[in-house]
Amino acid sequence: MTKYITKRIFMSALTLFIIIFVLFVLIRIMPGDPFSVERMSAEMILQKREELGLNKPILVQFVDYLSLLASGSFGNGTSLYNGAPIKPILTTCLMNSFKIGVLSILFGTAVGLTIGIVAALNRGKFLDGLCTLVSILGVCIPSYVFMIFLQYTFAYKIPFFPYFFDPSKFLTSAVMPAMSLSLFAISTIARFTRNEMLEVLNSDYVKLAEAKGLYGFELIRKHVLRNALIPIVTVIAPLVVDLLTGAMVIEKIYGINGVGKLMVDAIAGQGVDYNYVLALGIVFSALYIGAMLVLDILYGIIDPRIRLTAKEGF
Amino acid sequence: MKKIFTLLMICALLLVTGCGGDDNSSGDKKLSVMLSSNVVSLDTAQCTDSASFEVIGDCIDGLMQLDADGRAVPAIAESFDLSEDGKTYTFHLRDAKWANGDDVTADDFVFAWRRHCQKAGEYSYIMGNTVACVKNADAVIKGADPTTLGVSAPDAKTFVVELDAPVSFFPSLMAFPTFYPINEKFYGTLSENSYGTSPETFLSNGAFALSSYIPGAANIQLKKNDNYWNATKVALDGFQYQVVSSSDNALTSFKNGTLNVVGIGGNQVEHVQKDAELSKNLKTFLSGYLYYLSFNQDPKNHHAGALANVNLRLAISNAIDRESLVNNYVMNGAKATYTAVPIEFAPNAKTGKFFAEDQKQFADVINFDVSKAQEFLTAAKSELGKDEFELNLIFSNEGDSTSKIVQALKSQLESNLPGVKINLQPMPKAEYLSNVTSNNYDLALVDWTPDYNDPMTFLTLWTTSGCEIAEHWSNADYDKIIEDCTTGSLAEDYDARWEALYDAEKILLDNAVIAPLYTDANSVLISPNVKGIEFHSVGIDRVYKNAKLK
Repeated sequence: MTKYITKRIFMSALTLFIIIFVLFVLIRIMPGDPFSVERMSAEMILQKREELGLNKPILVQFVDYLSLLASGSFGNGTSLYNGAPIKPILTTCLMNSFKIGVLSILFGTAVGLTIGIVAALNRGKFLDGLCTLVSILGVCIPSYVFMIFLQYTFAYKIPFFPYFFDPSKFLTSAVMPAMSLSLFAISTIARFTRNEMLEVLNSDYVKLAEAKGLYGFELIRKHVLRNALIPIVTVIAPLVVDLLTGAMVIEKIYGINGVGKLMVDAIAGQGVDYNYVLALGIVFSALYIGAMLVLDILYGIIDPRIRLTAKEGF
Repeated sequence: MKKIFTLLMICALLLVTGCGGDDNSSGDKKLSVMLSSNVVSLDTAQCTDSASFEVIGDCIDGLMQLDADGRAVPAIAESFDLSEDGKTYTFHLRDAKWANGDDVTADDFVFAWRRHCQKAGEYSYIMGNTVACVKNADAVIKGADPTTLGVSAPDAKTFVVELDAPVSFFPSLMAFPTFYPINEKFYGTLSENSYGTSPETFLSNGAFALSSYIPGAANIQLKKNDNYWNATKVALDGFQYQVVSSSDNALTSFKNGTLNVVGIGGNQVEHVQKDAELSKNLKTFLSGYLYYLSFNQDPKNHHAGALANVNLRLAISNAIDRESLVNNYVMNGAKATYTAVPIEFAPNAKTGKFFAEDQKQFADVINFDVSKAQEFLTAAKSELGKDEFELNLIFSNEGDSTSKIVQALKSQLESNLPGVKINLQPMPKAEYLSNVTSNNYDLALVDWTPDYNDPMTFLTLWTTSGCEIAEHWSNADYDKIIEDCTTGSLAEDYDARWEALYDAEKILLDNAVIAPLYTDANSVLISPNVKGIEFHSVGIDRVYKNAKLK
């Protein structure tokens, strides 16, 4: 077991290293520059680039960056665009996205599970069709389109929620973005739940339980749902990271100071802010890889076959 | 299992709700204002954009401020004396306080100005010998000892500035954020690079103070600063900025009362004008932003052979129907412009007449005249020995109407100039700026914002050592006039300087170094219950300290 966990951690660290390298090189070679400014002379720009070590070969810059990263700093620790320190701003934005993300996960999971269960229990009937339609729409409609619809309907036509995100009215402000973000989660969880439920409902042990006289809510809760939920957790884990790391367009439209908006501003602002783009890329990747690592380890603990297969294959 | 799940749910809800409950204590009568872009920085040594200047202007007073008509009037400086040679300004400061109760002293100005030059940011150039001519500013920007900068504080209430040359518009420059003070004592208590990144790390001496802000914030809240020297005149208790990048969204939020002041684009102006009720709230005024076509004449450029030819440039400049462009495509009240200095900008201090009032003065070289444009084109074809010219026009794909404007330009140029083909190349702003500043373009759609109220804010762009968007044009006579007017013989003679600037502009347009297109306008919707907002075309675009909410 220890060997299995060590291997997984090593693989995750290697993946993160490769991502940082690729990200670093891509950002350096993409069009745009942090100092593409109109009012600075070429001489001053050169001076700034030298100060920040941007004139060195990319590989040397990468090694410098890694050593700074190892000491806990993203590059020189400040935005190249406005000179502000990265860490406190990144933390604030992460918290904002995280709070809305948590709400959307809670909402998405609750609604998704309900739709999935209702659809499975009414297989082939009208309700099943309706639930399937809702889950298909959830995949087809981009969350930001749904956000615009909600904003127009429930903030403009019927002014029930604030038109823009207002940090002083967090709860009412968070409803629309959280609902929009949860759309994909609802449909994914609903489809998965329906399929898993149907599989479990057709299994021998459920038929045996029915034969022994168990029926109704008790049967669903004790035997069907509990067994159907295990594979659903697999889908929810990556969705959690996805929702926690914000949604670029929604945050931009609704004016949320989250990591998604921060990323868009860092790339599409007046100059490309290398330090921010890299910092955000690293944080996003670390979260994903971390979630997958935890999932892998949990699988290994829950199901020894996975551990054994990994031993043979890897 | 059930208990753990319930506990997790409770923790999640507590986390979400505990981090920010609903708070309506601020009341409903709050002025809400749109910003079309993020505030880049509240550090005067770092900021480069009008949104940042505006918020800084709300919170900090400089030596002078602009009144509703754009004239420089005292702010922190109660009065000033000017030496006979026009090179030494002595500002006498009033009894003003920072928001934390500290006195605003001359040392705060000395500290801020030195720091600004040391930081060598994008706007530090304004201290140097092309604009403010502060003694030794250029040397300090390049790394010299900051104590050699020509500023001093003989006592707490006297601030002295020495200049290398007289600058006629120096008092109005003092209203620009680059020249604002920073409380040295407060700054010394902050951790590195944290100045201006939160309400706790930013100290106000102006009408308002920050109550909620982080760099790049979509929502910024300000409250009235009770320690402001003129606090009794400030009617607002505070207000908030909301960053809205889409003008459709801005219009909707104005209609439902979320925002009291919004800027709208050309498409929305047409819509608003059709609505009798809404149009009463519309205010349109020229912004001082000049849009022009930049011709890259760099010999290294692959099309330079063509654009280095003055007749081809004149052909392009005369083939553009600027009136059609502003009336049918820009549509926000912008005005067709035939000068290198925008319309309704830089009034003469003696006559009050705007520098570019006469738009016909260069009509022989810049006009909409297709037959003349074709004559220039024929001359260019024979001089270059080519019949066809394929040119790339780059532009930033931001803005609601930019793509319509460049499509119209392409269509006008291709139909009026046979043999000319224009390839449109939209790109993100960062890439666009990278291309224009590295001379990687043929034609570029450029907009230039004035930094101070003098024609020089535009005319210095085209000197040999001018702005980074260099057309790679160089003219010794032009350079000489600009130098004479800044630090040379004409700096002290207001009238002669003014006339010489027209001579410089003539050289520029005779050579068609650029093709001016239009002076942009701002179309703003203001709620009927909001009065007293002041709009300026230079420095701080909007001033709220005299605004009232009924």
